[in-house]
Amino acid sequence: MPERHSTSVVFMFAGGSRLEDERLAGVSHFIEHLYFKGTRRRPSSKEIADAIEGVGGFINASTDKELTAYWARVPSEHTELGLDVLFDIVANSRLDPADVERERMVILEELRMYQDQPQDYVQNLFEELIWPGHPLGRDIAGTEESVSRLSRDDILEYADARYRLPNLVIGAAGSLDDDDTLALVSKGLSLREGLDGVLAALPPSPLDGPRVLIRRRETEQAHICLGARAFSYLHPDRYALDLLNTVLGEGMSSRLFLNIRERLGLAYDVHSFTQKHRDTGYLGVYIGVDPKKAVDAVNAAMAELRSLGESEVSADELARAKEFTKGRLRLELETTNGVAFWLTYQEVLLGEIKSIEEELALVDAVTAADVKRVADELLSGTMQMSVIGPFSRDSAFRLAIGA
Amino acid sequence: MAGGPAANRIRKAIALVNSVADEAGDEEVTPTEIAEAIRDCLELSEVDEVPNVRRYLGEALDAVSDGMPADFVAMTLYAALGALREGGQN
Repeated sequence: MPERHSTSVVFMFAGGSRLEDERLAGVSHFIEHLYFKGTRRRPSSKEIADAIEGVGGFINASTDKELTAYWARVPSEHTELGLDVLFDIVANSRLDPADVERERMVILEELRMYQDQPQDYVQNLFEELIWPGHPLGRDIAGTEESVSRLSRDDILEYADARYRLPNLVIGAAGSLDDDDTLALVSKGLSLREGLDGVLAALPPSPLDGPRVLIRRRETEQAHICLGARAFSYLHPDRYALDLLNTVLGEGMSSRLFLNIRERLGLAYDVHSFTQKHRDTGYLGVYIGVDPKKAVDAVNAAMAELRSLGESEVSADELARAKEFTKGRLRLELETTNGVAFWLTYQEVLLGEIKSIEEELALVDAVTAADVKRVADELLSGTMQMSVIGPFSRDSAFRLAIGA
Repeated sequence: MAGGPAANRIRKAIALVNSVADEAGDEEVTPTEIAEAIRDCLELSEVDEVPNVRRYLGEALDAVSDGMPADFVAMTLYAALGALREGGQN
């Protein structure tokens, strides 16, 4: 991207929270926090931040269920600095005992903060229902119990086992020279090579049946998340699923928005979304609604879902959904950060990199019959629903999803 | 919004419950009056023409008997009304 003024560099480690057992729940996220606390060359978080912000750049990280990413975006003449700081934090962090204790308090506060954000927390509860008893159904940050219990030795041991070369993919995009960047990467690599055994990501068990989980809170709004298991990011129908999701609940021209908010006036916020992992995924619907209208809104959402399985979407609606999906992808790839993440995600998760043209062609190839078939398949699965609101009884909610 | 007899009776029951929930009525509405309004709905055969409407009304009646909050009863009645709407009956 020679026309850009920045370079973005992403260090992505395969793994993430789904590889953690119950005892180690949250350790990947804990490590991500600690890696910003200081290295041998840059002993404090301020020095790490100063190195990048001193040239106007950005540095951050995120932990996901199947990966952990560290990234920096810097003016392109400082690409070497961006790489150097990232190599430094992933290979030379001090993991000082005092930092471990301070960060433990920060993470516990973070966990409690999410519980005070019902729009987010209801999705965590929904994932508990979709993947019961499985690490995918757990908060990435772990639980208060696990985070309180994790020792510095646990953290060191896990970091040593996972932060090794076979788990790392480095992506870069921007105004950079390929050969120079490769040379800088080769020079900076100092992580250990082998893996101590392969941690297998176990698939979630089949679901027993539809379930409703209510967390009683005296909230002004009811927060509802409902949906069913769907496809992995390797599934050939994933593009049809994405288009189904767009038609159903992405944006203000979606069916959920137009019918539940605009026509019926039932909810302020209603939208759908997908999550995809290596061997599973889901399609979910979020509704923020007056508690009195909660079950009515669920019924209306279920009716929209059913209609997608009953008849094919019109040619116009499908064409709009395709343009929406393709346009969003193009917009994501406008920034160097977007491109670096897109390339790195593909290499880590899919093991190959598609060009944007290939990706857009796969979206274009989806037919209305594909969308209907996918909707049929999803609706034949068992629905799950989490609810946060002032409810002491779940019978009406269970009726709404046939639980 | 069209209104069949069942939809109209459910709306009447909702209005009664909401007057309790909002504490808006001049006279106190008793649980017996609300239960009576719901039973009026259950008497109509129309409520059997759309799946779940009778069951939501039954849930609402149970909720009144069990002393559940008015908002909860209202929610169940709105669900019955919505089910009629989705079934094309109102």
